[in-house]
Amino acid sequence: MKKNLLFKAISLIVIASFALAACGAPAVVATEAPIADVPAATEAPAVEAPAATEAPAMEDVSIRWRTRPDNQEEIDVYGKISTELDAELNGVTLTYEPGGTEGANYQDQLRSEVAAGTAPDVFWIPGTDVADFATRGLILNAADLAAATDTFSVDDFYAGPMFHMTYNPETGASGADSGALWGIPRDVSTFALYLNMDLINEAGAPDPRELAKEGKWDWAAFLDVAQKTRALGTDIYGYGGSAWWGPNGVWVNAAGGNFFNADRSACALNTPEALEGLTFQKSLYADYDVAVPYGEDPEPVFRAGNVAMFQNGRWATPGIRTVDFTWDVVELPNGPSGTAGNWLFWGAYVINANTEHPAEAWALVQALTTAKTQGEIAALGANIPSRVSQEALDAFLTFTPPMNNQAFLNGIAADANPTAEGPLWAGSWPEFDKVTGPAIQGVLTGATTVEDFGATICDEADKVFVK
Amino acid sequence: MKIQSYRLLQFLNKALVYLVLTFFALVMVFPFLYMLTTSFKLPADTFRYPPRLMPRDPASVTVAGFEEPLPLYHVEVDGQQKEYALAKSNIKVGVYAPANDTAATVDRFVDEVTPTDKTVSVAGKDEKLYDVTVDGQVVSMIQISQTTVGEFIDPKNPENKAYQNVRKSEPVESISAHPENYTRVAELNNMNRALTNTALVTILVVLGQLATSVIGGYAFARLRFPGRDTVFVFYLGTIMIPFVMLIVPLYQLMVLIGWTDHLAALIVPWIFTAYGTFLMRQHFITFPKEIEEAALLDGATRMQILTNILIPASVPALATQATFTFLYAWNSFIWPLVIINVGNEKNHVLTLALNVLRGRASDTPNLILAGAAIAIIPPLIVFILGQRFFVESVASSGVKG
Amino acid sequence: MTIHSQIDSRTNLILKVSIVWRGVFALLSAAGAIFLWFGALLPEAPLWQKVLITAVLAIASVFSAIGAVQISRRNHSGRMISLALDYLAFVTCIVIALNTGEVFIGIDALAETFTSGLPYLGIVALGYFLSVMDEYFPQKQLGAETSLKVTSRWVMLGGFVLFLLQVGAIKGILYFLGKLAQPLGLASVAGIAIFGFFLWAIGRSESAQALHVKTNHEQILSGWLFLSPNLLGFLIFFAGPLVLSFYFSFTDSDAINTPNWVGFANYAKILNVRFAMLSSPTQLAKEVVDIKIYDEVGRFIFGNSGILFAAADKFFWLALRNTLTFGLFAVPLSVIPALILSNVLNSKLPGMKFYRAIYFMPSIAAVVGISLVWQWLYNATIGYINYFITLGIEFWNNLFNLAVVDPKIQWVSDEKTALFAVIIIAAWQTMGFNTVLFLAGLQNIPGELYEAATVDGAGPWDKFWSITLPMLAPTTFYVVSTTTIQAMQVFEHVFILMNPPEGPNNSTITLVLYLYRSGFQNFKQGYASAIAWVLFIVIFGLTLVQFQQQRKSSIYES
Repeated sequence: MKKNLLFKAISLIVIASFALAACGAPAVVATEAPIADVPAATEAPAVEAPAATEAPAMEDVSIRWRTRPDNQEEIDVYGKISTELDAELNGVTLTYEPGGTEGANYQDQLRSEVAAGTAPDVFWIPGTDVADFATRGLILNAADLAAATDTFSVDDFYAGPMFHMTYNPETGASGADSGALWGIPRDVSTFALYLNMDLINEAGAPDPRELAKEGKWDWAAFLDVAQKTRALGTDIYGYGGSAWWGPNGVWVNAAGGNFFNADRSACALNTPEALEGLTFQKSLYADYDVAVPYGEDPEPVFRAGNVAMFQNGRWATPGIRTVDFTWDVVELPNGPSGTAGNWLFWGAYVINANTEHPAEAWALVQALTTAKTQGEIAALGANIPSRVSQEALDAFLTFTPPMNNQAFLNGIAADANPTAEGPLWAGSWPEFDKVTGPAIQGVLTGATTVEDFGATICDEADKVFVK
Repeated sequence: MKIQSYRLLQFLNKALVYLVLTFFALVMVFPFLYMLTTSFKLPADTFRYPPRLMPRDPASVTVAGFEEPLPLYHVEVDGQQKEYALAKSNIKVGVYAPANDTAATVDRFVDEVTPTDKTVSVAGKDEKLYDVTVDGQVVSMIQISQTTVGEFIDPKNPENKAYQNVRKSEPVESISAHPENYTRVAELNNMNRALTNTALVTILVVLGQLATSVIGGYAFARLRFPGRDTVFVFYLGTIMIPFVMLIVPLYQLMVLIGWTDHLAALIVPWIFTAYGTFLMRQHFITFPKEIEEAALLDGATRMQILTNILIPASVPALATQATFTFLYAWNSFIWPLVIINVGNEKNHVLTLALNVLRGRASDTPNLILAGAAIAIIPPLIVFILGQRFFVESVASSGVKG
Repeated sequence: MTIHSQIDSRTNLILKVSIVWRGVFALLSAAGAIFLWFGALLPEAPLWQKVLITAVLAIASVFSAIGAVQISRRNHSGRMISLALDYLAFVTCIVIALNTGEVFIGIDALAETFTSGLPYLGIVALGYFLSVMDEYFPQKQLGAETSLKVTSRWVMLGGFVLFLLQVGAIKGILYFLGKLAQPLGLASVAGIAIFGFFLWAIGRSESAQALHVKTNHEQILSGWLFLSPNLLGFLIFFAGPLVLSFYFSFTDSDAINTPNWVGFANYAKILNVRFAMLSSPTQLAKEVVDIKIYDEVGRFIFGNSGILFAAADKFFWLALRNTLTFGLFAVPLSVIPALILSNVLNSKLPGMKFYRAIYFMPSIAAVVGISLVWQWLYNATIGYINYFITLGIEFWNNLFNLAVVDPKIQWVSDEKTALFAVIIIAAWQTMGFNTVLFLAGLQNIPGELYEAATVDGAGPWDKFWSITLPMLAPTTFYVVSTTTIQAMQVFEHVFILMNPPEGPNNSTITLVLYLYRSGFQNFKQGYASAIAWVLFIVIFGLTLVQFQQQRKSSIYES
């Protein structure tokens, strides 16, 4: 009986300590916190060691930052950059955390994290969401910090994104002295057509790259290549485009239309030009039947070697580098408006409005957008530096394959007149997309006619412009 | 005679039963089978059409004069099926014909013909003329069409060559497996950590829920106290309420006490359930009262009765509830989605990790399905081990509930 | 029989101290309530938190005062009140202490080290194995039996201790103590000591005797004590949030700013709909309703005219439509085949358990994983489902020389099929579960009924209609209602399968998905709460209808 009692007492203590065991490792976490990538650790040991002795770990300000990577290679590169910057920036301990992915509601989750107070200090958001984050007060206006920084100049970056990054919703002003700066663009990107040259050659179709050089690369030539390759077999497609606003917008833009009016305060999808673009896009699916069915992801099909021309951004390059057929890229074909109607995609590093260390966060944002850092990321192939400089562009051309990197630069060149992806300061882009995206899909899959779409879309879409 | 046909009928009847059952069994099993086999494939193999169940590797061969091993294809040479290596692809071939007789076509490699500056008008269209050698004579011809072929060589005798369309050629393959997909996905997405988290969360939820519902159910079943029946009716009434009703207020509660982004938020709220308590009460109430009363007379406390008599006798019921809770905790998605940050992969559970993985590895279905297998197989094992309890308990919950 | 023993002086003193303590407790709680309500103790807190804490403190204060009076009158209810209040306060202090020591948050850290300790849990398992072995060698020697049992226990305990050491329990305890050394932590430890002392003091059997406590009073106390862990957790994590959800549905809560009371505005927006007559099937919505407020949800066409249905929140109505459509198909598709299969399985042929297990498999797999698998099966260009359809069509075309065109269904990207793709997965997943439920119901039907029917010359079909179905009615009700409740909450399937989750042209937006989108993407959490309550009413209504139906049919049968 006594033994039993002893046993019970000890069991009780042990079980109680199990509950407390829970707190075991915070101490462990604290010492091991910065995730050191293996390649990073081997490449930058020399820098890291003195930095560690200079600034005792206790006094370091801990800064977390996040981007949305689309694959492991990107995670590795950002992890490496984080380790490098950790060594460069004094008094700061950096922790890089890869965010979710596009499919995993990256921005939505960030919003709930800022609301719950658990968001990182610095994070990347897509250009379309800047207005929403800014007007909700979730991100910091860094204008004062920037004014105190000599090395920073708004003009170093592409004007399209910077218009939105410096937009002051109270005054409506934009530019270097608008009193607003929401962050710095991480990179830019644009669409091109990824070509399966094996299919194009097999079909005996003309080489789109040659046509583009000769200035003959327009919708008719595009359709010709698409039809010739489609004729190779029922499982071979001439064209593949993903189902989101980007590809849809290209055809609208190239026809001379636009999603919005000039000052982005109303829907303009009902203009004849916009409808013409949509009609052509629809014909690719319905009349000519050259495209991977709308809504089905064309990327696996392209990578399986069954799509001749796959429309996607620079971010698709690292994945496509693994395919085993001959491939390259070409710029988008010119539409009736005389331009290809391309987008200038971008996203920006912004600062959490509730960060405890705004100065350090701003220093990190700058460090993340230096020419050197941007070069390292661009070398991976997933994006184009957001700094406007000849060196950056020259360096970009060396990041092959694809051989024809110039196609991307042509897409963002001034005379191609790309439309900058951007937030709606007078409304909400995500909400606009929630209304128009399904409606456009309805047109492309044949559920609605273009005429009905044109007659109703703006009545509905204009409701998101209430502010 | 009558007996005979009766037997035949019996047999047909049985055969029909097994046929129907097997058909449905195949429907039920096929997605799992597909998941497992695809998770052992190479990425390129997953995109094949027509799809094939078993993972296959393309065969290759080293040929003298080539540094890299060359892929092997089935090639028809002189009416015989042979395994030839692809030495060169994208060789352009043209179909040429004289402008005045477009039916008399000849096939030539494009670099064997010489383009000229001259053109000829065919059916109102200007066509370029080429110098094509036919039977030793140079003839001016137009190009009817153009395509590409690959050069296939006999690996043993590279002088033997054959030309045909590469895309339509059947590659030589062998059945293989790539278990390294699993190690890759574990590293890629912190899947091993997610597995640990899920296991920990599940274990704690199961143990905690069993503990609270056993003593709660015992109180409901055996102890008389004022207010008991009111509370019980209240419990019963909430069983029907769907969890999503609580998602917003529970989220705000977690924000308030600072548990967002922590595993505690996935564990503690799930320890206290009305349904589990209800099930335990239903079980205890069937237990004969006399044993308990005898024990009470012997001076045992309520707790002793519970731990020494009732719990040992209730192992099947406990196992039932444990398996149910296990599945629920293991598979839950919407609550972790709301409460655990997307960036904090340290605290991801398997379902969340899968949600991230599906975006991050969207072009490698083999990895996605390996991830899905990691999430699905442990419950399947638990199911197989506890099959008896499990199926029986589902049945009893239905009959009683 | 009450024992008329003299109350000893120690008990007397304890009771006196307890009376004073109850008074102090009452005063402190009252002061707390007043400060909180009028003062600036928690100026930032939203209204509901203030109301809640004030109410709790006020009630505690009143009860404590009553308790003081009752103890002084030597009434047993004083003891009960005293025990209840001190117990609650005691538990609260423990929770505060644990939370201050970051025990709950620390579970994250445990997840990090927990795997390294797993081998030691193997020792625990070994110990358990030993104790099981004990049962297989019963009473060979009386001494040996107990020693094996004792050994196994100590082995289990030792294994657990090693496990704890491995996962860093010592560090954890030190960390806990360090964290505890702050005002709140120390206060809660003090609280644990004080409340613990009074729990002991008033709980002593001498005190109980002095307060004339009877056995049934003890049962009341142990009843509530046993129920309390579950009940408290249930109140905090279920009932409380439920009430809160109801409150939020009348506010504009956005999770960031303090919520404002908006009355019925959320519900009004959801229910703000218009029906309008159309003069032609293609007449535009803006000609018949105020397009600034309403969006077209759908139109019902009769010949040359029709009715337009427009709503202020079109997404809600689309979600409701999709959810109901989903239920309308998914429930029969998972119930009727299950009913048939269970009847087939009920035959006494060998191998039935194997089939039963196979059918059950889908229902235990994670929906997230399953949906990912089906996503690839559904792929329109390389997926297996379309491949099987193509094979089937080719087979029939060759067999009968037909020219049926391969439909090449775009399962998830065509708005006409997207919802059906989800329905198929859901039916596939729940069918086996329902089969097992039906099977259990079938096995409860007494065999004599069938025998009697056979004697009466009834065929298998007659037996099915006149015996099986009526006898299965309670099971059917249970199966149909649980499947319906589940179907109304469909979320994970669409969230994973569809990209975006709303599906092509909002064809797979469901109520729970819309709730999630409103509450956690747009942060209209008040509005999301209102959606939740509407969803509840839908579920409740459907269950009620089924219940009525079941009652009606069972009356007919008897």
